[in-house]
This record gives sequence, structure tokens and C-alpha cells, in this order.
Amino acid sequence: MGAISGPPCDPDLILDIFEQLLHGVTLGAMYAMVAAGLALMLGVARLINFAHGEFFMLGAYAFWFGYSELGLPYPLAALLAPAVMVLFGIAYQRTVIRAILPRSWHVQLIATLATSIVMTNLAIIVFGTQPKEVPTALSSRVLDVGGFRMVWQRLLVLAASLLIFWGLNRFVARTRTGRAMRAMSQNREACAVVGVDVQRTAMITFALSAALAAAAAALVSPLFNIFPDMGTTLTLKAFAAVVAGGFGYVNGAIAASFLIGLTEALAGSYVSYAYKDAIAFLIMIAVLLWRPQGLFGRRIGI
Amino acid sequence: MRRAGWLALGVFVVTVPWLLSAAVPRQQRYILHVLIFTAIFAALALSYDLVVGHVGSLSLAHPAFFGIGAYTAAILATRAEWPFLAGVLGAVIAAALVAAMVGVPLFRLAEHAFAVGTLGLALVTSVVANNWVEVTRGPLCVTGIPKPRLGPLAITTLPAFYWLALAALVAVALFYRGLTTFRLGRAFHAVRDNEPLAGAAGVDPLKYRLLAFTLAAAIAGGIGALYAHYLSVMCPEEMTVSLTVNLLVIVFLGGVGSLRGVLLGAVLFTALPEVLRLAPTWRLVIYGGLLLLVVIRSPGGLESLLRRTAGAR
Repeated sequence: MGAISGPPCDPDLILDIFEQLLHGVTLGAMYAMVAAGLALMLGVARLINFAHGEFFMLGAYAFWFGYSELGLPYPLAALLAPAVMVLFGIAYQRTVIRAILPRSWHVQLIATLATSIVMTNLAIIVFGTQPKEVPTALSSRVLDVGGFRMVWQRLLVLAASLLIFWGLNRFVARTRTGRAMRAMSQNREACAVVGVDVQRTAMITFALSAALAAAAAALVSPLFNIFPDMGTTLTLKAFAAVVAGGFGYVNGAIAASFLIGLTEALAGSYVSYAYKDAIAFLIMIAVLLWRPQGLFGRRIGI
Repeated sequence: MRRAGWLALGVFVVTVPWLLSAAVPRQQRYILHVLIFTAIFAALALSYDLVVGHVGSLSLAHPAFFGIGAYTAAILATRAEWPFLAGVLGAVIAAALVAAMVGVPLFRLAEHAFAVGTLGLALVTSVVANNWVEVTRGPLCVTGIPKPRLGPLAITTLPAFYWLALAALVAVALFYRGLTTFRLGRAFHAVRDNEPLAGAAGVDPLKYRLLAFTLAAAIAGGIGALYAHYLSVMCPEEMTVSLTVNLLVIVFLGGVGSLRGVLLGAVLFTALPEVLRLAPTWRLVIYGGLLLLVVIRSPGGLESLLRRTAGAR
């Protein structure tokens, strides 16, 4: 029996691959929730929000504050984060976005990049650079199914994110606001002409996008550390997913996010851990060279 | 009158080391250090403006080319013991080659996607600088980069380095003017202002964008080499996103596409934080806020302010 346990069918290797796949799906779910918000903003407002990763970062700190500082139970703290970020998203849309929306994309990009710089460095001043750990009951409990060990929190991330994506799709497809968002992604002026409340729809889009990022933060924070400059790389990876998935196409961005998360986990484990952050870009560049319209791309539109 | 003004400014700038040692001998070294940084950043910002201001492509990859140049020169000087000028040439070529190679796929990306692609490149380069330890020594930095030698002339003192940096700035400024004034400059502006029209008139947008991108990277590489030789240490932290923010602030506050504006921006925003002695975190908060305010309220920067006052007179 010992003779056949070579590398190809080594049970440890299979368990390890399984663990990495689970890790990749967790990463993918996190990227997907951030990327979906980015794609919504891009579709509805034609705007790249460079501060989107900072929405996630701020959501994570809101969760940390609720859970560790206020001592709220996990579900309440996890809801506090999106609630805070909805308000933040609305305030952001009212102040910065309204001022830059009629301007060129150069101005939009620099303004949102500037916002991200201000947010990151204010977070350093307020919270310090020391990473915050927020272990919860579920993040230390392990489910063991015949040797396949799964942390409960990862299963929660997966289940909750699937529920969120299903809800998001229902919302965009079925509700009046969702229809208005889709219409705006096709033709903003025509929407205004036929009486769609353009400002209100844009505001709801920003609130929703901020809530998605904060929900992702509340779900994965028990697994990863929270630190002030985690937003920048996240924005970039989420944007890579948006570009690879087809510009502004929400479900394409979600699918591409899972692809990036899985590749990153596997490559980080079996190729090179140090270069795992470069993977998202290699995927993006490869996709763009092969299919410039993105993996699932059509025209712009959510 | 104008010529006399420029001449006076030139004489003043060149004689600064002597003026300083006469007026504030104790502060001379510190002020010269700040001025050297100002000259280096001004030259770097001018090269950045070639891409952002003149062909209208918002590249965020400039720290990558600066870093590639700095590391190339640092490694050539410490491991292969290349002379200074050969190392600078190597840095220029390395940065230009990388720019030309990545430029082809990057310029397939439109507008936002181009910006993000270039930001991705900057990120990947800094990951490589941190992790390719055999070559860059990673976070341990390349140390012991020798002081520059120009033939028999050794640049060892601060005033000497100040003049070298000043000469580099003047060379870059002349290059910038030459490049953006004549036929080539008009082609750049045509691509920036109306891409389809430029294409229809036989000015290939991709070709001119790629040319500006590569030339800007080449200059950034050379400036990076100068920077590495000045500090005698090159670390991965020198090429992070915060450098992009500094460059954006300098270019947009000074005035996009304007030699005078960018120079003014560089002087204000390299020297000012030193004078105010701000902590780096607060500096970035203030820079970010200022950048936000300027792009929203006055996208022309200081240059448009200057023009307005000149027009009013």
C-alpha cells in the first residue's frame, strides 16, 4: 500500500488542494462583493470609484468597532457595518460625486483617488497601523467531514455571499429602482426625459455599492486582519475583475472575481506566495489581450 | 525685459550654494538637500506631464519607471561597477524598454482601464522590488551606491550635486519644451484633444501615445538613477503609490501641460512640506484633500491663475 502513495494521489495533497480551493472561494466572494459594487457604479454613473476599497476598509473598522469595542453580538455587528456605510455612501455621493459627475473622467479618477488617499491616511491616524484581529466564535470552529476540514466562518461567507448575489440580481431585475438602474446604465438622458429620478437612483446605487463592500468586510474580517491600507490592492483586484468580466456587467464581474480568488489561492500556495498579488493583473491583461471586451462582455450596461 | 528676468533667475539659482553659505551657513546643507529634492521631483514631474498633460493618458505607472531606472543604475554601479554616466544610460534604456513593452498591451485599454492597468503595473513592480531578493535585496535595499563621477570630476559635495541636479532639470525642461512645441507637440495635442479627428488626419494616436509614454519613462528612469546615486541607497519604498500622488499633486496644482506650472508646483510642494515639517500621514491627508479641491474647483491649477492675472493686467 505504501508504494502507491506517490505525489499524484497523496491524500495530504488532496486535502491541501481542497483547503486552498475553499480559501480561493472565500477570497473570490470577498472580491466579488466589492467588484459588484464597482460594476454597479460604473454601469449606472459611468464612474470608477477608486475609493471603493476604502469603503471596504471603513466597513471593516465599523464592524471591528461594533464587535470588539461595543461588544455587540456577531450578527448585529455584521449589520452595523453596512448600515454605517450606507450613510457614508450617500454622503459621498452627495458631496464628491455630485461635484465630479459632469466632469471629464480624468477629474473623476483623480478626485476618487484623492478621496481614497485621504481615507487611508485618516484611518492610519485614527486607528493606527497595527492590524486589528477580530476572531469570532465561527472563525475558530471547524467542521470536519471525513478529513476535509472547513472553518465555519468560510462556509458562512460562501452562503451569505451567494444569498447576497441572488438578492442583488432579483433587486436589479425585478424592482422599480432596479429597472431604473438598468435603464440609466443604457441611457442617462433618456431616463431623465421619461421621468426616472436620476439623482435618487444614483444615490441608491452608491448606498447599495457601499453596503455590499461593508457586508464583504463584516463577513471576512473574522478570517483576515484589518489594517488601514488594505483598500488599495482590493480596489485594484476588484477593478481587474470588473474589466475581465466585461466592463460594468455585474454578474461578469462576480464570476471573474471567483476566478481571480481561486487562481490567487492556488498560485499563492503552489507557485509563489510573494507574487500572489500580481495574479489578478496577469489575469486581467491576459483576458484583455485575448478578449478585449472581457470574458462575458457585451456593451456597457449592468 | 523677459530675457533679463530669466537671466537674473538663472544667476540666482546657480549661485544659491554660495548665497546660502554666506547668509545661513548652518542651514546650508539642509536647504541644499531640499533644493536637490525639488529639482529631482520637478524633472520627474515634467516627464510625467508629457504623458498626462500632453497626450492625455492618465498613467499611474510612473513610479515603476522611476524605480526601474533607480534599481538598474544602483545594481550596475554596485555589482558591475559601471561608471556613473553608463549606469544612467543603462537606466534610461531599461525604463524605456519596459515602457515600450508594456505600453503595447496597456494602450489597448481605454481611459479608466488604462489608468487601472498602469496602477497595476506600478503595484507589480513594487512587489517585484520587494521580493526579487537576489537582485534587489528586497526590503534590505541596495546600499553603497557610489557618488557620481563625470570623467575627472567627482560629485561628492552637496553644492556639486545641486548643480548636477540643476543641470539635469534644465536638460529635461529643454527636452520637454522641444518635444511639446514643434510638430511633434502639435501631434501630441491633436491626439489629446480629439483622438478620432487626429486619426482621420493621419496622426496615429497609438503611435504618439506610445512615443510620449516611452520617452517619459526614459526620463523617469534617468532621474531615478540620479536619485539612487544621490541617496546612495535604493529601497522598494521609494516607488510606492504615494509617489504617484505627489506627482499628481505637483502636475495638477501647478497646471497640466504647462512647463511653468509644473515647475512652480514642484517648488511649492517639495519645499513647502519640508518647511512645515509635516508628518507623512498628515501630509498625504492634506495633499489628498488639496488635490480633490483643485481638480473640482480649478482644474487648470496655478497656471490658469497666473494666466488670469496676466490677462487682467
